[in-house]
Amino acid sequence: MTMLPNYSSQDCPRAWEMMPWVLQASATQEQGEWLTHHLAHCEACRAEFAQQKRLKQAMSLPSHVDVDMEAGLQRLLGRLDAPVEAPQHVHARRSGGWLTRALAAAVLIQAIGIGALGLKVWTPGDSATYRTLSQEPATPATAGAIRVVPDAGMTLADWNALLHSLQLQVVGGPNDVGAYTVAPAASTASQQNTLQQLRAAHGIRLAEPVSDTP
Amino acid sequence: MSSTDAIKPMNDADLNTDATDRQLLQRMAAGDRTALAILYRNYHGRLCRFLSRQTRRPEVIEEVINDCFWIAWQKAGDFRGDSRVSTWIMGIAYRCGLKALRQHGEEPVEDNIPEERMPADDPDEDRELRDWLSKGLERLSHDQRVVVELVYGEGHTLDDVAAIMQCPVGTVKARLFHARVKLRNVLPALAERSLTFKEQAP
Repeated sequence: MTMLPNYSSQDCPRAWEMMPWVLQASATQEQGEWLTHHLAHCEACRAEFAQQKRLKQAMSLPSHVDVDMEAGLQRLLGRLDAPVEAPQHVHARRSGGWLTRALAAAVLIQAIGIGALGLKVWTPGDSATYRTLSQEPATPATAGAIRVVPDAGMTLADWNALLHSLQLQVVGGPNDVGAYTVAPAASTASQQNTLQQLRAAHGIRLAEPVSDTP
Repeated sequence: MSSTDAIKPMNDADLNTDATDRQLLQRMAAGDRTALAILYRNYHGRLCRFLSRQTRRPEVIEEVINDCFWIAWQKAGDFRGDSRVSTWIMGIAYRCGLKALRQHGEEPVEDNIPEERMPADDPDEDRELRDWLSKGLERLSHDQRVVVELVYGEGHTLDDVAAIMQCPVGTVKARLFHARVKLRNVLPALAERSLTFKEQAP
């Protein structure tokens, strides 16, 4: 437990505070005289001041640890010529810096990877259509598409003329049974009307609308 | 006494010493190694004493002194003259000392100084004084020991110590006050014995 100074008068705290500076001669002459006057009347402060003087005397003794000054100076001068001129503890800072740089590089690589992945995922038009193996191969879902099976004896000229007259174009086929998928070149024509005309046309064996569902 | 109370300005001797130190720093900034050697020798004793309050190991003390002057050599051109050169150098030594203590571990102040470490020409009174001081300093914290050393050993003012330790003047005052109270509580009997010893001496 710390025992605080036992002041015997209201001047004692000031005297207590002033002692070191009077001892080291950094107090003014006026302060020194004031303290001398106080000490003449205060036994407690006189004892404290005697201890302060003794403390200063003890602190002024030369170091008892023997350190070779000239050898130390030569080592310092040698250090100035060393290729890596840095205090020894810089090594610790350097290893810390290396670790920091490595961590920063790892974070940067992760950031680049995440960025590239995000770019790939969110780029419109570049995303592949996802389908299951049980699904039909991708068929263009054209509006008003009709599956048509022409007669084997129908000439290419007749087929072309028919498609041209009905404003149809081939969008798929022929498949394994010789069926073509045709769709109106212009979306204005009615699928039902086109279907009737195809069925009535010479050389057409089958005309059926393509439904989206099996 | 606050730091703004009437403090006697530096005396002529202090002013001359500081002027010489500044010239040495200027020469060091220009790459003059002779100036470095002079400053090194001028400060070696007081730095040894200051650092020996913190560690007893000569190799650590030399390492700290050399780190201190290595930095002083590098930064001599940056010295702005805001403080005395001695305050600037002690500040560097203090910080280098803290780093060294972290690196090597702080050693407690010994109760009694071993016989083999005592200088051969140490008179009995000095030896008793050292023992008396060691008993007191071992009760102080590291910061308190530094403040006591800087004030009583090196003669620095509160403002100087605050600049060296890079802390407010109020903190220095508090550390000094508590250090003195501790010393007063630990040392009175020894002080009386020492005073008696001195009074009996011829």
